[in-house]
Amino acid sequence: MELELFSAAFLSALFAIILIDLVLAGDNALIIGLVARNLPKDTQRLVIFWGTFGAIAIRAVMAILVVYILAVPGFMLGGGLALVWIARKLLMPEADTATSHLAPAATFAGAVRTIVIADAVMGVDNVLAIGGAAHGSVLLIVLGLAISVPIIVWGSQLVIKLVDRYPSVILLGGAVLAWTAYSMVVREPLLAAWFEAHPATKLVAAILIFSIALGPWYSERLSENLKPLVVLLPALLVWMLAFEVAAGVWKVQVDYLLATNEGEYLLAGLRWLGWLPLAAAYLWLREQVQKRNARSARA
Amino acid sequence: MRLINRSHRAAYAVRTVSPGGELFVASVVICMILASFGDAVDPAMLSEAGLEFALFDLGGEFSVLAMRDSHLLQLLLAGGVLAAGITVLRVVSAAFFKTLRPAPAEDVDKVPIKL
Repeated sequence: MELELFSAAFLSALFAIILIDLVLAGDNALIIGLVARNLPKDTQRLVIFWGTFGAIAIRAVMAILVVYILAVPGFMLGGGLALVWIARKLLMPEADTATSHLAPAATFAGAVRTIVIADAVMGVDNVLAIGGAAHGSVLLIVLGLAISVPIIVWGSQLVIKLVDRYPSVILLGGAVLAWTAYSMVVREPLLAAWFEAHPATKLVAAILIFSIALGPWYSERLSENLKPLVVLLPALLVWMLAFEVAAGVWKVQVDYLLATNEGEYLLAGLRWLGWLPLAAAYLWLREQVQKRNARSARA
Repeated sequence: MRLINRSHRAAYAVRTVSPGGELFVASVVICMILASFGDAVDPAMLSEAGLEFALFDLGGEFSVLAMRDSHLLQLLLAGGVLAAGITVLRVVSAAFFKTLRPAPAEDVDKVPIKL
């Protein structure tokens, strides 16, 4: 899809790319520091320059490649689902120690290679997200990287100060990732015709994506008794969506208003009430696990 | 390691976020879900179904709510307006209910009313 230059859609996509770049940015300075710490001072300066250059170059190439990969049927859906997990992970309050195993390099080439590979591995989620937000526009990706990479590389302290002063930027990043995931799922070519035939499922898909992606956020605000909702709400939506999919695939009638025989009425009943025993079983199982944990903690 | 993890407040954003910031992002999320509702259901269909006779032009009401084809910047703007509206409503309603609260019976300013 080609976006008109400086239209609302173009600027929105650019804003989404920059925001995603900032909240998912890897800590290049830390990686370079870890890898080049045993090298001589002169070589360290070269490593900083070529490591940063290589990281930016590989990031740009990967982001442009993702745009073309996402055009292949099926990848848009897969990318959208991966983004839901990425958004969830972003909001999950936990310490990140992914780079603690990075060993110092002995040579210049080894250091640059390690930095570039580490950045490429760390940046997979980032390029997937900006590829999805770019709506197939390479220009948007290049512009987004041209604006955000200098901020991340030379103004990392600025970014840290911004998110430290306004942690809501992280929540907004999570919401934008979820919104991008939703738009990727509904743009999937393999599902486009199905979504056209079942327009209401778009809303169900949106609520499902937001409820899973933003789960860590709203579960923090729920009391202990209401915490199971974080699992039950998305599970219920998946249940309903599964019946809608089954109705389309196996050509069965799941709408009780249009049911004509006992089998179809049974199916409609299963759709609206069948989830209740499963929910009860989940709550019972959860309680048992909590009791067992409490017992083992006391022991 | 992510850059944001260098800040403890950012790494634990779901716990450290300010009420104002949280209200703004929550409003943006509501606007995003409304936009997906607009994508999913054409509000004009509701009025075609005759609902405008049943419930004060329900289709028209939903046309306002459902933000069809909205872009991110429009959603952010709408979220900001919604958050500001909720804040104003909260302040005004709090002030209104404060005046309705009776003064304690033993208060020196309490006007004795004996019937």
